[in-house]
Amino acid sequence: MRRLFLVLFLLLTAVTARAHDFWIEPSSFRPAVGSLVSASLRVGQDFVGDPVPRSAQRIEKFIVRDGANERPLVGQENRDPAGLLRLDTPGVAIIGYRSRPEALELPAQKFEEYLRSEGLESIIALRAKRGESAKPDKEIFSRCAKAILFTGGGGGGARHDKEVAQPLGFRFEIVPESNPYTAGGAIAFRLLFDGKPLRDALVTAIRQDDPGKPMRARSDRAGRVTLDLRARGVWLVKSVQIIPAPPSSGAEWESLWASVTFER
Amino acid sequence: MGEPVGIRHLRALIVAAAVAFPALAHEIGTTQVTARFNRDHTYEIDVVTGPASLLSKIEHRRVAPGPDVRARLLAHARELREAAEIRFGGVRVEPEINVIPSAARDPLRSGASEPSLRLGMTPESATIRFHGDIPRNAGAFTWRWRLTYSAYALAIGPRTEWLDGDGVSSPFPLSRELLPPSRLDVIRQYLVLGFTHIVPYGLDHILFVLGIFLLTTKLKPVLAQVTAFTIAHSITLGLTIYGVVSVSPRFVEPMIALSIAYVAIENVLTSELKPWRVAIVFAFGLLHGMGFAGVLKEMGLPRSEFLTALITFNVGVETGQLAVIATAFLAVAYWHSMKPWYRQRFVVPASVAIACTGLFWTVQRIVS
Repeated sequence: MRRLFLVLFLLLTAVTARAHDFWIEPSSFRPAVGSLVSASLRVGQDFVGDPVPRSAQRIEKFIVRDGANERPLVGQENRDPAGLLRLDTPGVAIIGYRSRPEALELPAQKFEEYLRSEGLESIIALRAKRGESAKPDKEIFSRCAKAILFTGGGGGGARHDKEVAQPLGFRFEIVPESNPYTAGGAIAFRLLFDGKPLRDALVTAIRQDDPGKPMRARSDRAGRVTLDLRARGVWLVKSVQIIPAPPSSGAEWESLWASVTFER
Repeated sequence: MGEPVGIRHLRALIVAAAVAFPALAHEIGTTQVTARFNRDHTYEIDVVTGPASLLSKIEHRRVAPGPDVRARLLAHARELREAAEIRFGGVRVEPEINVIPSAARDPLRSGASEPSLRLGMTPESATIRFHGDIPRNAGAFTWRWRLTYSAYALAIGPRTEWLDGDGVSSPFPLSRELLPPSRLDVIRQYLVLGFTHIVPYGLDHILFVLGIFLLTTKLKPVLAQVTAFTIAHSITLGLTIYGVVSVSPRFVEPMIALSIAYVAIENVLTSELKPWRVAIVFAFGLLHGMGFAGVLKEMGLPRSEFLTALITFNVGVETGQLAVIATAFLAVAYWHSMKPWYRQRFVVPASVAIACTGLFWTVQRIVS
């Protein structure tokens, strides 16, 4: 009994200590052509999250790209699921959600914990060097979430790989180099920041059925990271970046949260 | 399509929340929390949220939406209780818990072009209700809910506060009438209630007590009867309030009337304290106690001071009875009880009048 409480306590404190991930959860990752799909936005951690209803105020871009088409997702304000789409073109469809930045303040200790958990030790070191380790965080944060759906069919595998590897153009983006629905065990991802490869960024992959065992790796010089994602199921691959915030924002730091979800 | 004023307010609040520092650390989710404080000194806190995501968080794995949500959530009552930090003046309370599943709410149903859509995702919601008694001398209320990642609104009456997933609400002071009464308040209130239940409202009890008194002016017999009556009605008052015995008022009320007639009739026939008289008064006391309990049940007893209220009500009743006897003694018996006409001109006619009233009530109460 006491041990159970301890586990629960640790679990709950773990919940509170970290900043939270953001991802897109479609009603189906492998929909039939012509079917309607809903896209739910989720905030949470360890791939367990709360639904986030649609808020026009916060959406910079909420689109789906299938084939050459890119169009916005429709949806009802203040409702979950946040977006609805109909897939008419067979093949790969990529849903993208880019939020407007929002303000956030954190006490120094919480900020440093979150920097550590997201592999942003360079910022911790920078703060220490400036003698600002005890300074509370004043930041703006924004989301760059993607979900890759696959209907099957629609031309050859090479074409799908090419479509998947084509960035949506978000400021921070995780781009698979091959179609995760057809590729073998390991998949290479490129991390792009302002369209350029981002090196040394921590990337975490979590499988929904086994969220307790995340996989972590850092991107190389070419901004590339290869992850062994052979286990079947729904995957979340995510990364967080922090840069100095633009002076006009009134914040000191700007964080960007990139994620991509798909099913293997 | 016009939208309710409430939604417009909500939107205005969301806009306000988005531009201001300090700000919410997370997106606003679908969870909503409402706290209510009731006049019976209880609180209710409703957490309306998606049961599937809630279960996923508790079980730390993905849980698909499905039926039997209530049972599945109640199986985690301990975790839910653990996750809800309800405090009054910083002191945490242990709430009762209930789960009220709500009908699936399909966002596509209202004004949807294709109502037959099945998206494999039911945007259902459930209400987890935490409830309990507001503690005595409760300080300001604070709330924390540890099972949401998103930001949510906490509504307390007209006040709405936006909380980050893990945030603690700002203290909400309770107005005085919502707090349970102090022990002194309860004593005062139930003493008065017990007394007024005899004088002036309990004419039947007054007549019964007068019946006891009219038998004789000797102290001992009056004392013996009053004591028997008091013990008896205290027993049944307590037993009935605690639900140990339950006798229908359709039986109790006519019997009380009959008891009045009986003592009065006996007063006409004798002025001696017969051995059975005390036993009969005791038996009638049992009936009167059930009558008192009926009143007390209607009034309600404060849960925080149940026994205090029960005892002081009984003391109040007792004081009322003694007041009746004292008044009768001072008004008539003290001056005239030694006079030869006291029994013939006062006790007998008064007893006959009481007996007639008692019999009339007996018939009336049976008929109605």
